[in-house]
Amino acid sequence: MCDWPVGWLERYVERNYVDHDPVVGLMKQSPSSFKWRDANESIGSGRASLEVIKDAESFDLKDGYAFPLITLDGTAVMVSLGGPEFESSQQNLSIMSLVSTYAIGRAMQLSTASGGGAQQRPLTQRETECLRWAAVGKSEWEISQILGISEHTSEKHLLNAKAKLGAANRVQAVAEAIRLGYIN
Amino acid sequence: MFYALSTQELMEHPELWRAVHKLRYRIFVEEMGWNDLQRPDHLEIDQFDHEEAVHHLVVRNGELAGYQRMLPTTRPHLLTHVLQDLYVGTPPSGRDIYELTRYAVAPGYRDGRRGISTVGTELIAGFIEWGMSVDVDKVIIEFEPMWVLRALQLQFLATPLGYQRTYGRQQVVATLLQFNQDTLDTVRTRRNHMQPVFTGLIESRDEYRLAS
Repeated sequence: MCDWPVGWLERYVERNYVDHDPVVGLMKQSPSSFKWRDANESIGSGRASLEVIKDAESFDLKDGYAFPLITLDGTAVMVSLGGPEFESSQQNLSIMSLVSTYAIGRAMQLSTASGGGAQQRPLTQRETECLRWAAVGKSEWEISQILGISEHTSEKHLLNAKAKLGAANRVQAVAEAIRLGYIN
Repeated sequence: MFYALSTQELMEHPELWRAVHKLRYRIFVEEMGWNDLQRPDHLEIDQFDHEEAVHHLVVRNGELAGYQRMLPTTRPHLLTHVLQDLYVGTPPSGRDIYELTRYAVAPGYRDGRRGISTVGTELIAGFIEWGMSVDVDKVIIEFEPMWVLRALQLQFLATPLGYQRTYGRQQVVATLLQFNQDTLDTVRTRRNHMQPVFTGLIESRDEYRLAS
């Protein structure tokens, strides 16, 4: 579920910001909700993190609040709300936190249901490799050269991965693969 | 092994009765710090351990490993008489709704901090099976908000009954959980154990003889 500016989402995936985003960094450590600004202070000291923060500001995402949760499988998930500014009372925050929980829970129920209740077909090693290179911006031809396979084969692997992940395009496939832990 | 006992039945097994109240003291007074419930005998007992309460026990290796208490909502229970600030409007009640309280897994039976232990999930599978056998398909639970996500993942239909509140360092939200066969199937699949856990009366077993 995402309502970020499209340009921001694309850049986020393309530049692999998930590895340097202080909000994501703190999410993995924090059992309770926190302000983006707090994440910036406690995690965001590196150059890569500062770049994420600066870049987010250029999309008018200046401050926000993150509501992290742990799923039954031990995966850290979160709802992150942000904008040009973010101020809220404690009472409203606790309501947003509960709404976030229901939103994530419902999304997980729907994604389970759309998968026919069964587990998603797992990605093969080759499909994962192709996605990993696609995530760092390699073209099908470049991937084929790196892995020593034909361009047609690398295209096929990426298409299969996209189908298995239920993704509409390559950006979403990469995002899903990251979310599911195939690549990071 | 999962057992459901009335207060009367529990009292007919004094060593089991003691183990229950000792575990509750250990968890809720010593671990969670609910100091209102402190007692010199280190047994946690309250006004809701009445004749209509149902006690769910999970026994492992002759030891009490898990516990939860089911209270009928047709008479006073925690939400209506202790935790009134957790609901907005009229709290749901009826023969088909019980309140689940004192959910506890003994320290030696917690498999991991993040997930739910096998004893913990046996308690969940147990109350669903028990509920189905007595025409109860809804429970009220006051729990930490992170349990809402777990409940949704287990295919409970969850409805918040009020706002979440902070008690000490703990966040609590009252939630109505409705369940059906899908919920039970999901819980069983997650546990990797498709057989029923609630198989009947304690009298027919001898496993409950506690090692204490």
